[in-house]
Amino acid sequence: MQVVYYAFTLVFFFFAYSVLNWGLNIQFGGAGILNFAYIAFVAVGAYVAGALTAGPPAPGSGQSYVLGAHLPFMIALLCGGLASCGLGLFAGFIAFRRLRSDYLAIVLISLSLVAYDFVTNYVPLFDGPDGLSGIPEPFSGAFNLNANSFIFVFDAFSAVVMVAMWAAMSRLTRSPLGRALRAVREDQDVAKALGKNVFRLQMTAMLVGSFYAGIGGGLIVFFSGAFNTSSWTTPETFVVFAAVIIGGLGNNAGAVLGSLLVPVIFVELPKFLPQLASQPALVPEIDNMLIGALLIAVLWFRPQGALPERKATFDDLMAGQARW
Amino acid sequence: MVTTVPADEVPGGQLAGAARPNQPAPADALHCVGLRKAFGGVQAVDGATFVVPAGSISALIGPNGAGKSTAVNVIAGAVSPDGGKVRLFGHDITGWPAHRVAGAGLVRTFQLSRELGRLTVLENLMVTPRGQLGESLWNVFFRPSAIRRQERQYLARALDILAVFGLYELRDHYAGQLSGGQKRLLELARAVMAEPRVLLLDEPMAGINPALVAQIAGHIEGLRASGVTVLMVEHNLNVVESVCERVIVMAEGRTLAVGTMAELRAHPEVVRAYLGGALSAGTAR
Amino acid sequence: MVPLPSPCVNPYGLAIGFGLVTASILAIASVGLTLQFGVTNYVNFAYGDFMTLGAYLAFEINAGGHLSIWLAMVLSALCMGVVGVAADRFLLSPFTRRFPNLFYVLIVTFGLSLILLNLIGAIWTPNFQQLPVATENPLHLGPFLLTPSQVAIFGTGVALMFGAHLLLTRTKLGKAMRAMSDNTSLATVCGIDTRLVTSVTWFITGALSGIAGSVLAIDLGTITPAVGETFLFVIFASVILGGIGKPYGAMLGALVIGLTTELSAVVINPAYKLDVAFGLLVVVLLLRPQGIVASAGKA
Repeated sequence: MQVVYYAFTLVFFFFAYSVLNWGLNIQFGGAGILNFAYIAFVAVGAYVAGALTAGPPAPGSGQSYVLGAHLPFMIALLCGGLASCGLGLFAGFIAFRRLRSDYLAIVLISLSLVAYDFVTNYVPLFDGPDGLSGIPEPFSGAFNLNANSFIFVFDAFSAVVMVAMWAAMSRLTRSPLGRALRAVREDQDVAKALGKNVFRLQMTAMLVGSFYAGIGGGLIVFFSGAFNTSSWTTPETFVVFAAVIIGGLGNNAGAVLGSLLVPVIFVELPKFLPQLASQPALVPEIDNMLIGALLIAVLWFRPQGALPERKATFDDLMAGQARW
Repeated sequence: MVTTVPADEVPGGQLAGAARPNQPAPADALHCVGLRKAFGGVQAVDGATFVVPAGSISALIGPNGAGKSTAVNVIAGAVSPDGGKVRLFGHDITGWPAHRVAGAGLVRTFQLSRELGRLTVLENLMVTPRGQLGESLWNVFFRPSAIRRQERQYLARALDILAVFGLYELRDHYAGQLSGGQKRLLELARAVMAEPRVLLLDEPMAGINPALVAQIAGHIEGLRASGVTVLMVEHNLNVVESVCERVIVMAEGRTLAVGTMAELRAHPEVVRAYLGGALSAGTAR
Repeated sequence: MVPLPSPCVNPYGLAIGFGLVTASILAIASVGLTLQFGVTNYVNFAYGDFMTLGAYLAFEINAGGHLSIWLAMVLSALCMGVVGVAADRFLLSPFTRRFPNLFYVLIVTFGLSLILLNLIGAIWTPNFQQLPVATENPLHLGPFLLTPSQVAIFGTGVALMFGAHLLLTRTKLGKAMRAMSDNTSLATVCGIDTRLVTSVTWFITGALSGIAGSVLAIDLGTITPAVGETFLFVIFASVILGGIGKPYGAMLGALVIGLTTELSAVVINPAYKLDVAFGLLVVVLLLRPQGIVASAGKA
């Protein structure tokens, strides 16, 4: 039973990371925004969604956070996504107006580090390093679940969310908007010379990506019942980058594959590595180093990733066009 | 009649000589007055003034460092000028950002071919039209059939243009895989797809083999026939002579003279500005 | 009863003193970062971890080799210089040569940051460690109240800034670095061996990061594997303030940020003083993205 429980936990993270990967994919693979602060957007979604269902902090519990309410979890999930969009709006206004890509990355990573610093220190916001815990389980009222069956039900729910968000992202990337974003990614000056409002396009990608990050964060907080600062350090952003690039940048199916490859390596490998006799606690460090090395290797040997970006065809529109 | 333009010409003032090629008229596609732009300590453009009549094919020539590319960048909105004015069909577009200038119908190409490498040739054209319904997030999710209709129209147009430029077979190739000449044709095809009112070509013939030069010249003529005004920066004076009815000479950031090639060849200052001999040889290098 | 005169301690005076120390640390770090950016045209996101590694090396040499922390710092700087050259030769330059698009090398530096962070954690444990710097009595220097170590940090900062100035204006290397910073292809045409200058620049950035990390650790009194990385955004703030790629701008930015953060600690909760740096960065970006020091540049 333990194994089944564990397997379904992995399945959940597969769904959740797929959603996270699509968000970064549209920002980076789609519009060329090097969002090194991505995990901060996930965190916003998680904190907001969690706080909005947990109710105000109980006096005497030692916890303190804002936004305590008893909203239904699906509304809270949506609010988490929108809150993340708010952060995206802020970040976009500071960073997009005149900056080139590495300037952008600097500002964004600084935003992430400052946010981390601030949330850790300013306890009244989201309970500092301890974070939120005891988030009520979704569906607990409706289905009367125990710990094990909750996982199955929530997995099913996450699967539905994932499929819906896949459909939406697919439509977006295939649309003229997706095309315009890729043009911005390729060459901003040419995009401008073609009349594209680069700022508006980047902001659109930023907001859509942030929404996905927030929803992913919300799913995670409802699954785990807790969320604190250790969940959103900078290496976490790196895991998402690794997943997106290794799976295949700019390819939505690649993002799903990346979710399978990287969290599996990330979560699975530590379980099966031979315990290093003197330093069993080293495994997370070695694990992270391996991900870093793997990403660099993939960038060198196969930068397009496992599933390269698909070439745009217009076959569906071409039907009926008499041609030479 | 060649007109020499004094550096301190006041807009609307009388020119030495008869009121002619450089006198602004309401039907002018482009009118630049006293453009100035400095980079660091270098005054790249220092009072450039010229007129491009609607429906004409004009050339902007001059020795290296004359400020031609900077002038083009100023007109196209890629950089904002320190002084002076740019008018497009009478509307003041000075200081407008590049995408707004493009939106007003002034389309430019780049000196080094800048194709969107990881988009296909067909995609390169499909991304060109302005104000596409499908570029709005709302429409993507709530008006898909309207977008499809518009896409079909664009597609038909794009395929026609590709056929005219001989790129139809390459439509599904990544633009980055094309040869140099093909990329140049793609850039021109893209400019045509944009349905410009004024086309600004930055050295369209640079590095192109002679056979292709004739083909591109033909395309440019075709554009003019459909009502597009063309201004091209060019060093290949043979092409300029055969294609352009009007030549604007820049030197040291200013407009030096305006006229036909034949007239300019006889103009001593212009000949001197080109360090002598280049004009008679046919190419400035 | 005549009240006893209270000791004349002006909190703003104290803050300026601390601000100068912070500014010194920042200046060393910022100049290291900005020199490398100027020459290579991309940001090293692993810079914070270089600093951390430098601090840990100094700590190791000091604790294990029983050398004074200052001597250990110099040795650590030399090691970090080598690390910088190695990172460039074996990892970063190959990527920039093969992929002209900046994205690749930026992600690689991000990956390097992750690798270094975990390597340090693996070797030295992830917990914070107390530096064996003897507790010192602060000295009264005019309006300032600084420990001898802090004075030494300030001195180091001033010395290194002066050294940087000499390097850039008096040496052939410095001029080559400035030329490459302005226009790399032009520099090549002028006969500058860009690969050599790049390697030497990486040595310098490595060494400066090592010193910056060490003095940061000395000032804080403790180190953790994340110490450099968390300080990174403050360095970015001062580099952008001064205009990225401009060493004198970086010095100015360091001074402004150092003083502002310490002065802000007088009025707000000191735990957030570093966050003020980010606030300042946001303001600068909204008003003048190219930085305070004006010139045609890389932005």
